[in-house]
Amino acid sequence: MLSFLHFLLLIALVACASASSDYHERLLLRPLPQSTLLASFNFRSMESSVAFAQQNFRYFPRSFGQILQHAHTKELHVRFSVGRWDADNWGQRPWHGAREGGTGVELWAWIEAQSEEEAFSRWLTLVNSLSGLFCASLNFIDATKTIRPVMSFVPEGDHANSTSLHLLHGTLPHEVVCTENLTPFLKLLPCKGKAGISSLLDGHKLFDASFQTMAIDVRPVCEGAGGSCVLEMEQTVDMVLDIARSKRPRDDPIPRARPIEEIECDTGKGYNSGDTCYPLDKHAEPAWNLTELFGRPLKGACPLTEETGDDANTLCINTPPERTIQVNTTGKYAETRSASDTLRCYKLPIGAEFDLVLPEQQMTTGLVRAEPQLYAARSINGHGQERGSVQAVIKNPSETDAVEFVYLESLPWFMKPYLHTLRARVDTSSENPVRETYYRPAVDRRRGTHLELRMVIPAGSTLTLTYDFEKAILRYTEYPPDANRGFDVAPAVIRLLAPYQSVDKKGIYLRTTSLLLPLPTPDFSMPYNVIILTSTVMALGFGNIFNLLVRRFVGVDEVPALGAGGLKGVIMGKIERLKAKLGRA
Amino acid sequence: MALLATILALRRDARILKLPPYLSALCIIVGVAWLLVLPLNEYSRNTYVSENALLPGQVHTYFTGSEHNIFRAYRHEVALLVDSSVEERTQKLGDLLRASNLKVATQNYEYHAAGRNISNKNVYAILQGPRADATEAVVLVAAWKNMDGEVNYSGVALVLALARYFKRWSLWSKDIIFLISGDSTSGPQAWVDAYHDQHDPRHVENLKIKSGALQGAVAVDYPAGPWGHRYDKLHIVYDGVNGQLPNLDLFNTAVSIASGQMGIGCTLQRMWKHDDSYQERLRTMLRGMLSQGLGHATGPHSAFIPYHVDAITLVTVGDGWHDEMSLGRTVESLFRSLNNLLEHLHQSFFFYLLLQANRFVSIGTYLPSAMLIAANFSITAIALWVQSGRPATPSANPIATEPSSSASKSEKNKGKEAEKSKDEKKPSMTVAEKDGAIALFPTKDLEITERALFLPLIFVLTTHFLGLLPLYVFNNTPEPYLAHTFLAVSNITSVLPLGAAYLLRQFKRPTAQEMTLIQCFSVLFLGMFLSALATLNFSLAFIIGILSCPLSFVRTSKNKILGTVMYAVLALLNPVMVIQAATWFFGHGVVEILVKAAEGWHVWGLWTQVVVWLVWWPAWFAGSVVVAGGLFA
Repeated sequence: MLSFLHFLLLIALVACASASSDYHERLLLRPLPQSTLLASFNFRSMESSVAFAQQNFRYFPRSFGQILQHAHTKELHVRFSVGRWDADNWGQRPWHGAREGGTGVELWAWIEAQSEEEAFSRWLTLVNSLSGLFCASLNFIDATKTIRPVMSFVPEGDHANSTSLHLLHGTLPHEVVCTENLTPFLKLLPCKGKAGISSLLDGHKLFDASFQTMAIDVRPVCEGAGGSCVLEMEQTVDMVLDIARSKRPRDDPIPRARPIEEIECDTGKGYNSGDTCYPLDKHAEPAWNLTELFGRPLKGACPLTEETGDDANTLCINTPPERTIQVNTTGKYAETRSASDTLRCYKLPIGAEFDLVLPEQQMTTGLVRAEPQLYAARSINGHGQERGSVQAVIKNPSETDAVEFVYLESLPWFMKPYLHTLRARVDTSSENPVRETYYRPAVDRRRGTHLELRMVIPAGSTLTLTYDFEKAILRYTEYPPDANRGFDVAPAVIRLLAPYQSVDKKGIYLRTTSLLLPLPTPDFSMPYNVIILTSTVMALGFGNIFNLLVRRFVGVDEVPALGAGGLKGVIMGKIERLKAKLGRA
Repeated sequence: MALLATILALRRDARILKLPPYLSALCIIVGVAWLLVLPLNEYSRNTYVSENALLPGQVHTYFTGSEHNIFRAYRHEVALLVDSSVEERTQKLGDLLRASNLKVATQNYEYHAAGRNISNKNVYAILQGPRADATEAVVLVAAWKNMDGEVNYSGVALVLALARYFKRWSLWSKDIIFLISGDSTSGPQAWVDAYHDQHDPRHVENLKIKSGALQGAVAVDYPAGPWGHRYDKLHIVYDGVNGQLPNLDLFNTAVSIASGQMGIGCTLQRMWKHDDSYQERLRTMLRGMLSQGLGHATGPHSAFIPYHVDAITLVTVGDGWHDEMSLGRTVESLFRSLNNLLEHLHQSFFFYLLLQANRFVSIGTYLPSAMLIAANFSITAIALWVQSGRPATPSANPIATEPSSSASKSEKNKGKEAEKSKDEKKPSMTVAEKDGAIALFPTKDLEITERALFLPLIFVLTTHFLGLLPLYVFNNTPEPYLAHTFLAVSNITSVLPLGAAYLLRQFKRPTAQEMTLIQCFSVLFLGMFLSALATLNFSLAFIIGILSCPLSFVRTSKNKILGTVMYAVLALLNPVMVIQAATWFFGHGVVEILVKAAEGWHVWGLWTQVVVWLVWWPAWFAGSVVVAGGLFA
């Protein structure tokens, strides 16, 4: 039952272990409650700093490396996320939330520069280059969406001269992450999705998951003082698959009602009959296999990984020991068990397909679900076009430990918070939980609000943070398409400081969901009405004045030629005109 | 120039003062006639779906097969809960929702209105859209008891079955909230208030889990018992609290899906048999106006609309051949349409009158009707203001060069002998000289009539404040005393104008001008208020406008008989009397209405009472005092 903690330690050790080979990959599968499965893919490629500086790339992708060099970026973190982590059911986040981003795209980097202006211009270079590389709208991260966090992020890597490093952070909460972002992600891998665990990554299944996040982290790692440094690039994909949904065939994904014969009815109910069926819950673990779940087979190991040792075990599954697992492959594989048999790892065959088959099974034991250190939820209150308020509810489930954390909000400029209305209340004590505040107010159309709060939440308490805000009225051209949807507000980032310390420098994070901010939106047909009305008035006015200016008004008696009116006059006029024409000719 | 001078001089013409009552009457007649022509094809339009994203009825629905067996089981489960306590019931309903792997929470609420204690419990579940980011949500509501107090067996079971079914789909772009409210009006109100954090935590519990901004809500009302009942039509209820309406696109989508895709007829405003004739359309429109004017909650959806969440209720009516699964598929298709929405519903109309399920009148067409009625009061107010500034006996015909008609008549009668006397009767003249030109004016025309504004203003303001008294009394009297209170208030208000007029006569002896000004101000307030109200709640403005029309025409009369008749007419149009007559006509008890009104005031945020007691009643009171003043002259 304690196995999960062992396992966490193990993961941490794996991540930290200094490398002998330069490329590692590992897929960890972990069944979660309610027939879901967490799949954590982790790929690490290393390049020595010397080789990197000489542009001698082996496992590190060249396209990516050159962008980093060009933008003088020393450490980089990119996140693409869809969906939300259901902490109530699924427990602690994978990697303690350190490899997770808010909904949409999130990016932060340490950039080497002499001044803030230089750092910002290099940041713009970076986001524009990455935008092209990942087919994402990262180029929309401009000054209004960029902040410089003070307490929320610390460098994961070892940096020699940290004084000239500038941390910049930008988010795009409205960005829809999809297959066009996965393809460039896979291209950065040495095996490019053709072999190894990355061959399981299929866009259809990945983006049908209940929660998925893709992360890229680049950091320099140095061994001791003055030791050799390597540049480590870590690519992570975490996804939570709904097993029943993923097992549906791709060409018929409709969840039709199953035939009544297949449904187990509760015959103990008095009304049970041929046409009435109270469905019984199945408590058995569902059956699944990798091919069915990921929509494609696992095509053996990536030949670049270690052949022996712990790093050769690229596929691990974390289940109770009693769970039956059958291996289906034609190649040579090896199984190792660790952490009281709750973790089974497989060394994959090279060049042969590999599949794990788990039959339906009634379980008597389960794994201990690690409870999250904090729960956080955030919502917009109030209604109307003028103002509203934001409420964040943060719960500490621990009965013994008070938790210290940093809460980071990055708000768009058109959402103007009133800082004097900021209230933080803890339900168990009257003490103000806010220890430190960092606030950088917004400047209209130039930068957004940046708010960081260091707070302490006592054991077993709920902290409610509220503040009011005013909605700005935008200019007509500042509204995006589909303006009536509202504007997305980036998720808040929470970083835990104490007492939970991660064993490495990654830190423990969680993020709230993003918010939808409805702004007063004009009726966009109005400008056209105004244009039409103005044009009409202009035309009438212009017509009259032009008439007055150009037309010559002549008294009737001054026109001798037109003395005769009526039909005769008309005929005379025609003849005159004809005469004139003939005369000229 | 000459024309201008003539027009200016017309201001002083006595005949011009005779015109406004006719103009007012014309406004009223045209206003009413305008409303009556609206049902004609030339003035109404066919409905259409404006929002392209909705694509109503473009998807296949799959809520069939074994889902029906499960639905029947859930309906039996619901039927078993009828006699259990609120706690047990919500616990069991929560368990059923939890079994579908949804996040479930409950909410207690307790309101006090008219001495009654409205307490119950909501249970709701959130289906987190697999690809959604918690920014948007749509709500499916089934109240435990419908508006008629029947247990909503099949409606609740349908929500449970749909929750289980919807959970299997991965295409939801928004969260779906399934709400089973304790009752049809206060329950949804408590829930939606708490969702927007606009509630009083003493009466309503906070919501433990929330989702994103609500984009729409659909309520189902299907009270068929555990053995089912096949229905004939869907009755779509759309009126919100205070006469606010949902976006017409939502209504159109529902009609289009139900009738176009599922083949279920749609009906509205309790018009069970609608043959699309002029009379039926007019009746539908008038029922809609009455419902809008009263502004009461008409179903579980009503509470959502003030929060700009478009909502409708689908009620099954009649005996036919449609079963619960067709209603389920209608809801499924409707949610698929709502799921398509990229933006909040905004394309279509928010102000409309429906004549039939697919015919409507838009605000631009119907608004002039109520505006004309309101304008009639403003015209009267201006006329009374002008009249109050005139000398008591104005010169008969100041611009005519001929002798006045009355003088010429008497001339004819009396013959030539009268010439002498006519010379004597000639008014005194004043000579004015400017730039060498000399003019003669009747001296009387140069007299300045000052308006004594103090008493009229104080009187009208006091009257409006006096309205607070019945407003307070009716909203805070416990139910057992309401009947007596109503009787007392109706008796007092009937004789109060007489008393007030008598007291005024005794202590202040107001001049005719002051009486005119009282009426002028009160009618002015009424006219301005009604024209503003017409843009918010057309029907209420129209109904009050029509019921207070006589206020434009009554005057202080020296003729006792005429005065008595006028007072009697006004006494019949006393708001209290109108309420009594209306409740009798529609077959409701007065107490029942007053209890609902008090509940509306305390729970739903209803404003109709404010309009009645602070706008309509003061105007009626001032008008009655003016008429009663003549009786004591």
